[in-house]
Amino acid sequence: MVLLTVALLGGLRVAAGHRAFLFVPPPLITLVLAGLLMSLFVRGGLVRPARWVHGDQPLLVNVSRLLTLVALFASSAQAFNSVLPEQGLLHWLFCFFFLWTLWNNQFSPFDPARLLRSLAVLFGTAFVLKHLLLAGLHPAEAGWMGRVAAALLQGVSLGALDAPAFAPATGYISFFTVALYVGGLMLVPAAPPPALAGAGDDAASLVEGGPPQGLLRG
Amino acid sequence: MRETVFPGLGILTTLLYGAVIAWLYATAPRSLEEVATGVRVAAGSYQIDQARFDAALRLFRAEQFRAARDEWGRADPAQRDARTQFYVAYAFYREGWGRVYKDDALYRQGLDAVNRAIAASPSAPLTVADPLLQMHTAAELKAELEKGGERQWGDLNPLKMLEPRK
Repeated sequence: MVLLTVALLGGLRVAAGHRAFLFVPPPLITLVLAGLLMSLFVRGGLVRPARWVHGDQPLLVNVSRLLTLVALFASSAQAFNSVLPEQGLLHWLFCFFFLWTLWNNQFSPFDPARLLRSLAVLFGTAFVLKHLLLAGLHPAEAGWMGRVAAALLQGVSLGALDAPAFAPATGYISFFTVALYVGGLMLVPAAPPPALAGAGDDAASLVEGGPPQGLLRG
Repeated sequence: MRETVFPGLGILTTLLYGAVIAWLYATAPRSLEEVATGVRVAAGSYQIDQARFDAALRLFRAEQFRAARDEWGRADPAQRDARTQFYVAYAFYREGWGRVYKDDALYRQGLDAVNRAIAASPSAPLTVADPLLQMHTAAELKAELEKGGERQWGDLNPLKMLEPRK
């Protein structure tokens, strides 16, 4: 539910002026970023797919866990969608930095807790840049100094800073989305407890590394 | 029993929630009111506001085409009623019609509306039995709107100025 709520709110914006909802579907690049992040989850030990889905479990349990992994992917894509600028040069700059960071992280040693801290910082930075810094530079929202800075930046960037204006509620929604996403990641167990029909000692023997290791325990 | 019920409920809830999210992104409602309208459409209980429709018809007959379209927009917010969309298209046609030239932008919007009207009545050809209209079917109206948007040598014929508005 938490992950799906992130998937719902990640693309939600509120238009400035008439305060209409705008549902922005995730751009293709966010799916690529989410794919890289899923790979990072596996490499960092946040998710151990072999322990989530395996043949010894009942079919319904496997389907349920597969759906949770799909929800994790969808919420990751939407979390990126929430903190990426919608268009222009800045959109591609943010994408580039996300790609660079995620690609580098693929080759870094990570434990789940460290990975989570790193992701919280990554999403937090992108949130601050988009919803505080860039939104503050929008001429409709800014004071006279902001307008001067926006005009100068527009001149320097040849209009690349053009971005649609959103109501302040968009920032609050994005903050809630990112917080919920990071909170949701904390709740994801690396290896959920095995669900076996008539499980007993056999089930315990399947848990090779002891009890499930959620990030909260890490 | 527990091993079946809990994952089953989880799967059902997840699929339902996922479907709601997909529906929201596919239909992109702009307000909670539009969400409610969309739900009524999906549930099959959607109906137009008849009082607003009648008010719009009175405006249409008084040649207040923009006001009429505005009122029809409120009467049929989901743009799902074939008859209302037919009248909206007719209002675009009449406003865009000129003795010397036709307004392309209005004709294009009229064409969109008549296409919506046709799509909203897939089972039978749409016919509106209004004696004050010269065109009674969506097909006629669509042909007229398409013809207005075309450029031909015949447009230079001065006798075309005598053609009446339908």
